[in-house]
Amino acid sequence: MRLELGNFFVNKVTFGEVTGFSNGTLTINKEEAIAFVKEDEHITECDIMIANPGDETRIVPVKEAIEPRAKVDSKAAAFPGVTGDLSQAGIGRTNALKGCSVLAVGKHWGSFGDGLIDMSGEGAKYTLFSQLINICLVADTDEEFERHSQQKKNKAIRWAAHRLAEYLAKAVENQDPDEMEVLELGSISKRGSQVEELPSVVYIMQPQSQMEEKGYNDLLYGWDLNQFLPTLVHPNEVLDGAMIGGSYMCCSSKFSTYDFQNNPTIKRLYREHGKTVNFLGVIMSNLNVSLEQKERAIYFVAKLASMIGADGAIIAEEGYGNPDADFIGCISALEDLGIKTVGMTNECTGRDGRSQPLVTLDEKADAIVSCGNVSDVVELPAMKTVIGELEALSRDGMSGGWSSDEKLGPSVRPDGSIIMENDSMFCGDQICGSSPKQVREF
Amino acid sequence: MQMCNLIPVAVTVGANKIVPTVSIPYPLGNPSLSEEEQWKLRHHRVGVALDALTEDIKEQTVFKVKI
Amino acid sequence: MKKAVLYINQFFAGIGGEEKADHAPEIREGVMGPGLALKASLKNAEITHTIICGDNFMGSNTEEAIEIIGGFLEDIEFDIFFAGPAFQAGRYGVACGTICKYVEEKFGVSTITSMNDENPGVEMFKKDTYIFPGGKSAAAMRQDTKKMAALGDRILAGEKRFLAEEEGFFPRGIRHQVWREDGLIAADRAVDMLIKKMAGEEFVSELPIPKLDRVPIAPPVMDLSKATIAIVTSGGIVPIDNPDKIQSSSATRWGRYSIAGLDRLESGVYKTIHGGYDPTVADANPNVVVPLDVLRVYEKEGKIGKLHDYFYATVGTGTSEAEASKMAGEMIPFLKEAGVDAIIQVST
Repeated sequence: MRLELGNFFVNKVTFGEVTGFSNGTLTINKEEAIAFVKEDEHITECDIMIANPGDETRIVPVKEAIEPRAKVDSKAAAFPGVTGDLSQAGIGRTNALKGCSVLAVGKHWGSFGDGLIDMSGEGAKYTLFSQLINICLVADTDEEFERHSQQKKNKAIRWAAHRLAEYLAKAVENQDPDEMEVLELGSISKRGSQVEELPSVVYIMQPQSQMEEKGYNDLLYGWDLNQFLPTLVHPNEVLDGAMIGGSYMCCSSKFSTYDFQNNPTIKRLYREHGKTVNFLGVIMSNLNVSLEQKERAIYFVAKLASMIGADGAIIAEEGYGNPDADFIGCISALEDLGIKTVGMTNECTGRDGRSQPLVTLDEKADAIVSCGNVSDVVELPAMKTVIGELEALSRDGMSGGWSSDEKLGPSVRPDGSIIMENDSMFCGDQICGSSPKQVREF
Repeated sequence: MQMCNLIPVAVTVGANKIVPTVSIPYPLGNPSLSEEEQWKLRHHRVGVALDALTEDIKEQTVFKVKI
Repeated sequence: MKKAVLYINQFFAGIGGEEKADHAPEIREGVMGPGLALKASLKNAEITHTIICGDNFMGSNTEEAIEIIGGFLEDIEFDIFFAGPAFQAGRYGVACGTICKYVEEKFGVSTITSMNDENPGVEMFKKDTYIFPGGKSAAAMRQDTKKMAALGDRILAGEKRFLAEEEGFFPRGIRHQVWREDGLIAADRAVDMLIKKMAGEEFVSELPIPKLDRVPIAPPVMDLSKATIAIVTSGGIVPIDNPDKIQSSSATRWGRYSIAGLDRLESGVYKTIHGGYDPTVADANPNVVVPLDVLRVYEKEGKIGKLHDYFYATVGTGTSEAEASKMAGEMIPFLKEAGVDAIIQVST
């Protein structure tokens, strides 16, 4: 499979007459863009706001992040099964607007899996998204059935953000990219002896699929990963819009669509391919709730890894708590087959840092990269501007926020300063691989 | 007596008497069954748990359930 | 100038060896013995008092020793507490750990000690106080007290968090996130680790698997038909208005709710507020989490003596072990008072 990513480096986003890209500046005709978003009648209110790195801006509740992408010379959708009909992702050419992301932001209402982004100050280091120019789609919807639910599908606003991301990237359709990134990985069985002599490595992803009702979980080509068995996926498919982030998991643990599109572990394995390792591909698994489902997925992952001849594996878990059982179970099953495994996860050690870091442990899991701790308490000053609604952090059951606490008071204080757990930092633990954080002993 | 679905978690944290349940969101139910069948399942598994309380075990034990 | 207190045993106080190991606790003003070495390195505090206790007294009459020493400390002001160094002396090491743990919990003051890694006090108390790996004998006095003083000075200067690996004390099982100075991202760390692991080279896991806690096995219930059984759940089932405002994750609160006279939990009257699972089924029938309906039948049949009049609930997602133990500690007196013989704990 060969994918050409036409990268356009965006260093400024502004509003103007014509939506287009020139000399590093992405201009958006706001009225037209809003009209396009509102083609979905479930979007009742909608605005687009720009947040730049360094702005004294807090964005909350953030539901999703997407890098603007569009397929070139083809009618295929950038997010097949979501923004258009199904087509093969990971082949052909895709334009990408780098350095920016489209954020789905609730105008009022937050939910359990939503997150917070500070664009400057101490809070900025908690999330990668403070380093991007964020095109914030701030919207409300007619989804009355879940308005006051803690768990929300957030479908209308997430889909609107996917559509807007594609709409924006279409603006560069006829332009030459600043950089052409070619990602090519051929058949596993026909790589020649030089590559095949290298240790073979498979990357295993465990995206979130705990909700049994459709509409919350991560998607593969629009397919809900709850009703799913692990399968082989080409790394290009992950990078090219086949994977869509969900609306369930505690936010710092979450993989947004942006994180799938830019997965740094896949990128690094691509760079090592043919030099130090033979990169076999990706096994896409899931994280269901019942033990039987967990065990079934574990057997499938281990079997697939063994069938394709993996010597080593890297496995990344989107979540903590009961998904640790899938994560540790998978590592243990792979090690039993002689496949050397490295796990990537975050930890939940409690506010005092003393709790058992994962709910399931096994001595076979002897190589773990620990990307963050969901329970670290973060206290941040007020920001000049809030995009969205700050009160959501206290009011709406976001996983790292609270309405009252005997010792700490509410998460949102009258002066606009906040106290929260890292748990709700938007995709803060970057288990896909860009986390500069590590958990250590004190 | 711990009734839970995630046996590996219960074993890791050191629970000694464990009776398996159906799933995380519905430990003692199952929406794919009728109300009556669910009641039977719940009755059976809680019965196993009650009997297990009287067992003199020497190590962590996961008790078997039939339905 | 801030104030420090040092704890030493009868031997290092010059009172005597084994024959004086029953020496009762005493407090003296000023510095003596190991305190002189500690004083030489400690910049941010003056050692105002030395507490002396015989190792056997502490070992055999621990509660009494703690009570006496606690009484001494209540009468003085101090900002930091040192003990030892205990080197390889087992009883002395355990005594240093015991008193440090107590002082830290009771007075909220940081405590620092030092002992050889073979000293049993290390395993027993490394989670409760800062313990530096020390030498085997008093020959290491100067270097061991120097390490204790250096950390003490930084604590007194207002620093709060110290990395075990960098400072050199035994890891305390306290884990927090840090930003790596080299900025190396997780993807690179994982691939580098895997390449080393596949090549059979040394690598360092970022999450060493800790030793697992074991719980003593409770004696069996002798006669179920006379026993009182209670239901406890971490599944977040509460009356619909959540009267105790239990949090939907990282809970610190719990509630007990009367089920006297009820044959089942009705939907619409009870619900789950647990944030970590799909609530649809539990909301429609809370008995799938709190199996009141079937337990009532077992009670009527006489299989169990009595079902306790309350069920106990909290939320288990993201809840720390410390909070969970605290909540259990709060529930237990109610359960004991009602003569509950056994608990069925349903988790989600």
